[in-house]
Order: sequence, then structure tokens, then C-alpha cells
Amino acid sequence: MAENYLIEPDSGFIKEIVGLGGDSVKKCFQCATCSVACPISPDSKPFPRKEMIAASWGLKDRLVANHDIWLCHQCGDCSTLCPRGARPADVLSAVRSYTINEYAFPKVLGQMVNDPKKLPMLIAAPAVLFLVLGLVLRIFGVKWLNFAPGGDEIVHAHFFSTWLVDLIFVPLSGMVAGVFALGMKRFITDIHAAALRDGKTQKQTIDWAGLGQALLRVIPNILQHKKFSECGENKERATSHMMVLYAFIGLAIVTGIFFVVLYVFQIHGPYSQLNPVKWLANIAGVCLVIGSALMIKDRMSKKDQKSSYKDWYLLGLVFGLGVTGMLTEMTRLADAAFLSYFLYFVHLMFVFNLFAFLPFSKLAHLVYRTVALTYDEWAEREKKAA
Amino acid sequence: MTTDKAAPASGSLLVVGGGISGLTTALEAAEVGYEVFLVEKNPYLGGRVAQLNQYFPKLCPPTCGLEINFRRIKDNPRVKVLTLAEVEKVAGTPGNYDVTVKVNPRYVNENCTCCGDCAKACETEIASDFNFRMSKTKGAYLPYEMAFPARYTISPQILGTEDAKRCAAACKYNAVDLEMKAKTLNLKVGAVVWATGWEPYDATRIDNLGFGRYQNIITNMMLERLAAPNGPSKGKILRPSDDKEPKSVAFVQCAGSRDENHLPYCSYICCMASLKQATYVRERYPEAEIYIFYIDIRSPGQRYEKFYKKIKEDKKVFLIKGKVAEVSEDAATGAITVVAENAVTGEKIRKTVDLAVLATGMQPTAANTKLPAELNYTEDGFIINDFAKGGMFAAGCANKPSDVVSANQNATGMALKAIQTLARR
Repeated sequence: MAENYLIEPDSGFIKEIVGLGGDSVKKCFQCATCSVACPISPDSKPFPRKEMIAASWGLKDRLVANHDIWLCHQCGDCSTLCPRGARPADVLSAVRSYTINEYAFPKVLGQMVNDPKKLPMLIAAPAVLFLVLGLVLRIFGVKWLNFAPGGDEIVHAHFFSTWLVDLIFVPLSGMVAGVFALGMKRFITDIHAAALRDGKTQKQTIDWAGLGQALLRVIPNILQHKKFSECGENKERATSHMMVLYAFIGLAIVTGIFFVVLYVFQIHGPYSQLNPVKWLANIAGVCLVIGSALMIKDRMSKKDQKSSYKDWYLLGLVFGLGVTGMLTEMTRLADAAFLSYFLYFVHLMFVFNLFAFLPFSKLAHLVYRTVALTYDEWAEREKKAA
Repeated sequence: MTTDKAAPASGSLLVVGGGISGLTTALEAAEVGYEVFLVEKNPYLGGRVAQLNQYFPKLCPPTCGLEINFRRIKDNPRVKVLTLAEVEKVAGTPGNYDVTVKVNPRYVNENCTCCGDCAKACETEIASDFNFRMSKTKGAYLPYEMAFPARYTISPQILGTEDAKRCAAACKYNAVDLEMKAKTLNLKVGAVVWATGWEPYDATRIDNLGFGRYQNIITNMMLERLAAPNGPSKGKILRPSDDKEPKSVAFVQCAGSRDENHLPYCSYICCMASLKQATYVRERYPEAEIYIFYIDIRSPGQRYEKFYKKIKEDKKVFLIKGKVAEVSEDAATGAITVVAENAVTGEKIRKTVDLAVLATGMQPTAANTKLPAELNYTEDGFIINDFAKGGMFAAGCANKPSDVVSANQNATGMALKAIQTLARR
């Protein structure tokens, strides 16, 4: 950064960061304690000192396209040692929130996800979508939505046909993946340009195959929460986070297997509790509930760490997803028909929220952080120019 | 008129603390005709300045300025010096205070000629607080060469032992009096000036800077003692682990200062102290390299700015903008590695040096020991001067962190404020 640089402060950006939980940003006096305190910050161009000055000067372009903000796992070691009571961990978290909005498409949806006032609408939207689509199909004689599912056994598919569920979820997943992929391409191009400018890489052009290989090297670290476990303060958070991550992986595997079983082998659920896949589903479900409950408990007990609406939205969603899923199964086994069908409906609404708003909610960190870690692995930042 | 209602002012004033500020206040008031009691808890006057090697603005040894003040005290019958004395209670109102002072026994009376025979006879050695426990003194000792009053002291630690008896037997002048008891004095004074000074911030509390864990991490005040000709190493700067001459020294600025986890304020003089101490090392070891890690160098005023500029010209002094937040030790060599981010280049630096000096700040004495009077303090323990109320004032570092020059100016001003309380009957 030796060259002259005309600073163009964006005061609106500063206000947004302050609003997103980065209200301590202006306390920073650039002593750089944080960059040393951080156990995972690199030696070359370490964070978060440079991010703190960029944020307090309103240098938005130095932050949203800076992949370092995603290398941070918000352990809070920097906030603990900060001599000014500024909380770099919270500021970076706020910048991450902002970045998700910045790359979100369509933007309106991104804003809705992060506005507590719009929450009833977000919850109502999938409910309306399911019911309207189900009722419209009934007009044409397709009875995929049945309000009086009879029979001796509770079969959720009799209420909500799996066809109806997948008619909504399969295209939805495709759309989400598409929108997200386009955003990520833009994101990677931007972070590469920024890394080149800041001297964090010597590689001139992005090589996608190389990035792919870097991803393969990074995934085992992510699965083991290697970086997360290096964090000093609130280390225990790594455990609950790992539980939730593995729960999702387990549930994804279960969903994949049952998808094949249903559509390829034409075997309908509910499946036997003796089925090993079902065991996996149950274990993953319990992990999800416990993991997310631990995370909520941790956030509630931490008075010095900022928690924003974004954090609570995601935690509520994950916890709700787990609880309604488990309760649906339990009420089904207990033969409480009405309750079970109702819970199943609620559960589907949670699933919809989680999937449809993935690129806009805090859950997007799953993709952003993976991309940033991969990029950092590929960029070889500690290698100096000859 | 208010004249009639005014409290009858006593003509005396009390100065608590015999450091540079207290000496100044006491002398300025005494030299215009007021009776002054100067109370000091140590067995000697001179306070923190006495512990320095050199002090600003002219880099004089402390003997220079203190000697003049001690001379003035000796010549002025209006100053009553009470050493080993502590104020226990202050009651009353401006112009009319009743003060209780406890004077602890020195076990050596005014017959003492400083011949040193008692120390020779004494076998027990005790850690020297004057040298920050880097050396030991005998149980009977002279606090430092130029101590005032020039009189030996017997440590209560050897009292009742054979050693104490040997000291008494060795004295040719009947100066050792082991039967001496603590006395309580009641003084009537019109005004009180608190010049209770400061203590170096306890560096062991700065967890991430390794003081107390690694031998070759010392504080700036310890370095003053190491550099002082009357210090534990007779003015040679040697690192504690192996008495080796350091080839490289790192100074860690703001060690505990400007830090909400420790002292939230700037201690004012540590930047200048480190720049000064850089000259101590550079004069002794022309090849030695100095690394000063700072948040920003504060060199207030034209004189200090000039000094800073001069140090910057030294090719072996490296100034790095970035606070040290992590230290480690090589157990085999005793070398210390300090870690900081250079905020100018945006690169982390791991510098391995022979000796690391923490520029610890000043904590007002009142922060750790409550004073026995009704005073207002800042959150950090500095005394707030209430000029409207009058009567009691704080001078020097009891009031705010400062260098010797400002402390003396402030102390002179407080002498006048105290006199105004006495004179305004």
C-alpha cells in the first residue's frame, strides 16, 4: 500500500456496519494488538487491524472483496486483548453480514431475510405457496394435498405428497444453487483482484483447476474444524458447531438415500426404525437439536459478544428445524395424527426457509468461508515476490 | 464580612510524600515563611527520581537535582522532615486540620555517621526494594549513597535476631537503638498537599507480555536501576538470566498503559523514557540494536520532539509502529521473541532479542492504597483537585501522570494554593 490512494469514505457503509453489531469500530486506535492476538491470522497482511481502519474510514471496497474477513472464525481473542474495548471480532462479523447482502441476488430478498419485521412474511410465504399449489392442483384432480389423510398408520406423504414437496424443493434447490454460483463467481473475481492489489498473492490470473485442488485440500481441515479449534477464547464453540455441521451432512446423506429409494426403487416411507439409514437420521436429528441448543445457550450467556438478528434468525431456524423434525417423528410413532401432520407442515416451512434463503442468511457463511479458505490456500500469500 | 466567620488557620502545612513533587511543594512554601511538615513513608527522601539513572530534561543523574533540594531542606529550619512516617488520619476543615502521623522506628538515631560498621557486622541479606529486588542489601543498610537523612536503617526483618544485636555492638557511636518504638504524632495544620506519587504498574498483570515468566523481560524502572552507577550491576546493563551484555534490546511501549484492561490512560513519559533508555544502551554498547515497538511515539513539547528526532537519526535504533502482543522465550539461550504487526507495512514481525524492556506506566499510589482523608478521585485513583473547597490539594503524579518538569511546576502551584488556604483568614 505504498502507492498513493485517494480515500473515498462511505459514511453510509460505516453506519450499516455499526448497525450490524460493529458499533465499537470507532474505538480502534490501530495499535495492532488484534492482529497478533489472533491465533489464525497469517504473518503476511494479517487481520483484523487493517479491516478495522478500513471499516472506520468507510472503505467499503477494501472490505467486501477482502477474503480475510472470512478467514476469521470469530473466536474473540482479539476483542479480549483489545486495549480500547473495540471488538474486532464483532466488526468483522458485521462486515461479513454486509458482504452477504452485497453479493445477494435479488437484493430485495436479501434485505427481507435480515429485517425482523419481514419475518412473518418469510414464514407465511412457503405456507401460502404450499397450500395454493396444493389446492390449485386439486382443481385439476391431482390430490397431492389431502387434509383428511385417513388410514391406520400415519403417513405424512398422505397429507403432503412427496411429489408436491419435491415439486417445490427440487426446482428451488436448483435456483438457489444457480443464484449462489453466479454470486460466487463474482465474489472470487473480486477477492482475487483485491488480493493482487494488497500483495496477498503473486498469482496473476485465477486458475479454476488449481482452486478445485485447493478445495480438496481445505475440505478435510473444515471437517476437522482445524482453524476453529485454534481459536483461544470460547473454544467450546467449535464442538457445538461441529455437531450441527455433521448433523446437516448426515441429514443430507439420509435425504439423498431416501430420494433414490423413493424415486428409483419406488419404496415409500415411513421406513422402519431398524433401518440403518434411519439410525443415521435419528442420530443426526438429535445432534442438530443439541448442537444448536448449545450454540443458543452460548450466545445468551456471552454478554460481551454482540449477537444480531442475523445470528438469532439462523440459530432459531436450525433449532426449530431439528425440534420440529424430531417431534414429527415422535408424534407419528405415538399415533398423534393431527399433531404429527401439523408439525410436519411446520417442519417443511423451516426447511423451506433454510434452503430458499441460504444465499441471504448467515448460513451463506458455509459457502463464503469455504471459498475464502480455498482461495487463501491457493493464493500462497506467505510466498514473497522474488 | 466573612473574615470573622473564617476558621482560624494554622500557620503550618503538611506535605505527604517526599518525592520530587513533595520536596518542591515543601520548599517553595517554607522559603516564603511557612512551617511545613514533610512526611515520607520510606526511610529516605527523593522518591522515584532517586531510583533513576538520568532524568529529563537535561539527562542529569538524580543526585544533581535532589542534592540541591536536600541542601535547601538542611538550611531551612521551617521544614520538619519525618521519614518512615505515614499519615493515619486527617480530620477537620480547610484551614484547620488535625492530622495523626505514625512514625515507625528506624532503630538508628541521629548519632549515625554512616560509617557502615553495622552493615559489615550484619550477616542477613534482604531483597532491595530500591533495586526492584534485583539485588540484596544487608539487614542494616543505607538506602542509597546520597540518602537524606544520611542515616543507616535497620530492617524490621532482622529485629530480635542475633544479627540485630551484632549491629548494635558494632556501632561505635551508640547510634543503634533496638528499643526504639513507633510514635504517633498529632499535628495541627491549615492545609495538606498530597504528593503521594506513583508506582510502576504491576507488569505481572499483563499476562501476554511474559513479565515474571521470562527472566530477560524487565520493566523500564528496572532498566533505570541497571543503568544507574549505584545500581545492582554498578551501571552495567546486563541481562538477568546470564549477566550477558545484550546485543539487541526491544522496548515494548504502552505495556499496560492506554489499555482498558490495565491503565486506560497514557502515562505521559514512557515514550520519552524508552528513547532515553535507548541512549543508555547505545552509549554502553555501540554495536547493540534497539527496537522500539509503539502505538504512537508521544514526545510532547519542542524539547522532547527534538530529542525524538535525534534518536531517529541513529541507524541502530528501529522504531516499529505496532504494539507487541505476544512474547516467547528460547529456553536454551534465554532470548526473547516479541511479536507485533508493523502497521505501516502490514506484515507481522517476530523479533528475537537478548533483552526486552516493558515500558510500564504509572499508577497513582492512591489506586492501591486508599489515603486516610476525604478526597475525590478519578476512576483510576488520581486525586481530583477541588479548588473551590480548598484546603487539600494533590501535586505531581498523585494528580496526573507527568514528567519531573511538569510535576515540579504543578507542585509549585500547589504550594501557592496551600498558602492561600493558610493566608485567607
